[in-house]
Amino acid sequence: MDGFSQKEEQRLLKTLATESENLGLVERRSFLKNALVMVGAGATITPAGAALASSNLPPSVPSWSRQLGEGVLTNPYGLPSEYEKDTIRRTVDWLTPDRISSISMTPLHKLKGIITPNGLAFERYHGGLPNINPDEHRLIIHGLVERPLIFTMEELKRFPSVSEIKFLECPANGGMEWKAPQMEGLQFTHGMLSCCEWTGVRLSTLLDAVGVKPEGKWILAEGADGSGMTRSIPMEKALDDAIVVYAQNGEALRREQGYPIRLMNPGWEGNTCIKWLRRLEIGDKPWYQREETSKYTDLMPDGRARKFSFVQECNSVITSPSPEVPFKGKGWYEIEGIAWSGKGKIKGVDISLDGGVTWRPAPLKGMIISKCLTRFSYMYQWQGEPLLLQSRAWDETGYVQPTFKQLRAERGGNSIYHKNAIHTWKVHSNGSVQNAQLS
Amino acid sequence: MHNSLNVNALINGRLLSMRTFKITIVCFAGFLVGCQQSDQSIETPKETVTKVADGATSQTDLPKNFSIGHQATSDVIAGWDIDVRPDGLGLPEGSGSVEDGESIYEDKCAMCHGSFGEGEDQWPKLTGGAGSLTEARPEKSIGSFWPYASTLWDYINRAMPFPAPQSLEPDEVYAITAYVLNMNEIVDDDFVLTRENFASIEMPNKDGFYIDDRPDTKNTRCMKNCKDGSKINIVLGPVYSLGKKADTVAEEKTDENDLAKTTYESVCQVCHASGVANAPKMGVAEDWTARLERGKDSIYSNALNGLNGMPAKGGRADLSDDTVKAAVDFMLSKL
Repeated sequence: MDGFSQKEEQRLLKTLATESENLGLVERRSFLKNALVMVGAGATITPAGAALASSNLPPSVPSWSRQLGEGVLTNPYGLPSEYEKDTIRRTVDWLTPDRISSISMTPLHKLKGIITPNGLAFERYHGGLPNINPDEHRLIIHGLVERPLIFTMEELKRFPSVSEIKFLECPANGGMEWKAPQMEGLQFTHGMLSCCEWTGVRLSTLLDAVGVKPEGKWILAEGADGSGMTRSIPMEKALDDAIVVYAQNGEALRREQGYPIRLMNPGWEGNTCIKWLRRLEIGDKPWYQREETSKYTDLMPDGRARKFSFVQECNSVITSPSPEVPFKGKGWYEIEGIAWSGKGKIKGVDISLDGGVTWRPAPLKGMIISKCLTRFSYMYQWQGEPLLLQSRAWDETGYVQPTFKQLRAERGGNSIYHKNAIHTWKVHSNGSVQNAQLS
Repeated sequence: MHNSLNVNALINGRLLSMRTFKITIVCFAGFLVGCQQSDQSIETPKETVTKVADGATSQTDLPKNFSIGHQATSDVIAGWDIDVRPDGLGLPEGSGSVEDGESIYEDKCAMCHGSFGEGEDQWPKLTGGAGSLTEARPEKSIGSFWPYASTLWDYINRAMPFPAPQSLEPDEVYAITAYVLNMNEIVDDDFVLTRENFASIEMPNKDGFYIDDRPDTKNTRCMKNCKDGSKINIVLGPVYSLGKKADTVAEEKTDENDLAKTTYESVCQVCHASGVANAPKMGVAEDWTARLERGKDSIYSNALNGLNGMPAKGGRADLSDDTVKAAVDFMLSKL
């Protein structure tokens, strides 16, 4: 604070804090903000804020303990604390020419457990976010069927429903990292990923209602958005575990996730889980739509491309520490992360502190569900030594998450999608964490 | 009643007599199991229970078809059934020439894709890249990569032009498709594309795809001495291969002009950031001088009603006039 000695500054700040304690929370904040501006503390707001906050720390009785709080329905739909303002989706603006056909990422470094809150699940739009009135929305199922049917949203909710916790991942997750560690933080290297409880009616139940003819082998799923998003889905998947979803984590599906209904193909490319679903056409062959030819195909070094590469293979990443969650001083820390596989349950996760020379199993914790995020945890006493932190997951099919070297040896550097390589965080001796790749 | 719910208020919203209060307490205790109130002052509606129909209650023997939903008639389906397959299934009657396609393309497509399909800014390239698929920087254009012409027809019809999806007539889609194929040297200058000759078109990269054959990697769970630790080469990120720094922090939404700014970013920016289709560029004063001389109302009017390449309200008819005007103000405030 210019023009004040440190002692004088502390005295002044304490006086301000004391004076303000007679005010309500909102007024108090406003009073302090103005007072700080008046004494010219703008540039040193952090130490000032810390000094003020200390009046709420023991042995002082905090201001919120000596007054009443807000009543019920202050927020009819509850929101996170104002102190969580940086827990938000973020994008990388140079990835796409505009934000209408673009993607935002989940703040994985801020999340605990396996459920992604509805407001934080990554977004992917090909033609922007539509605002659909459910009363004016329909699902049509037709093509090679005995009884082409049209459903209102209310009618769909009369069918027997299922609720399942499944991860959802854009196949381009980490796609910027094929050639080099290009992103600064976890949110951008792995954030095209979410995991929710999805409620809806099994697609197989709806297919029973229309009666699929024997020659029906593929289903075209189509969205009602401005891109008319479409993907061809094999009948085996539809009959296995696909769901037409109308609720997410207990409440109506969010607009960003396809309100009022979307398709959910557990463990498969997020792109196949058509949002704002309006139509399912049964046919004998795939349609070769734009999003399964020009895009969402994997270009290989020989110039040919894999098509219908649906499955999101086994993957994992350490979420703490990470560039956004550095070590702050020596001592015990929980090295924590998430693992997932589109082929089933996670069997185990190994972690390495030395860039993959030595590995040790990291215990799994919480629920272990097929095609769902699974938490792993490893307690570690950090003494300030540099680390090359890695996690390596394996799933119930026996598949072990590959190294970048192995992945590049098979696919080169231009396949964009399905990057599931073992990820490396370089932990510096000052505790900061940096995205890294090893060769 | 200190520090707990006021039962009287909860039940009736007013204080009751002591006698009623006692009944109410009993009533509250039975709240969830169905309260029978004996006080004559409160009428209890009498319900008659009709006998539940037998059958269909066995949870282990449910019908395969619940008979929910209505028949989708062919008329209803036709309005939404827009997909087209490589064998031509789904194509409507119609035709379009390369020549017609060129003028429609210039009008509706070139603003983003470039006059030669080269792509403006980051918008998709439509042409070029032949033989580049094995190179370090492959160009996956329609000519170099797309396996089927039907995909082109289908996608233009369902999603283009970007600001006005599903706005083209079938003949326009045939014509644009013909022209884009011509740009890629797949059909001649005098070609006329029809439903009948569609299946005869062969794309250069039609054999360039194969069914997913993963898993392709075979890592194992090595636990000790898995590599030589002294030979680890570390590449630290971020490495900005595109020469740009990631805009990693979403802008705080503290701008008073929040709605206007959001509208600009989600609707106007598509054209006004780069100046495609002669759109006046954001922040470039000289682009706006002549327009401002005609007055702000004239600019509002163009934004609301459309002009040349500018669709009415930027193609978002659902926006209120005030929102569109606010977005205009926001853009003008940045000059």
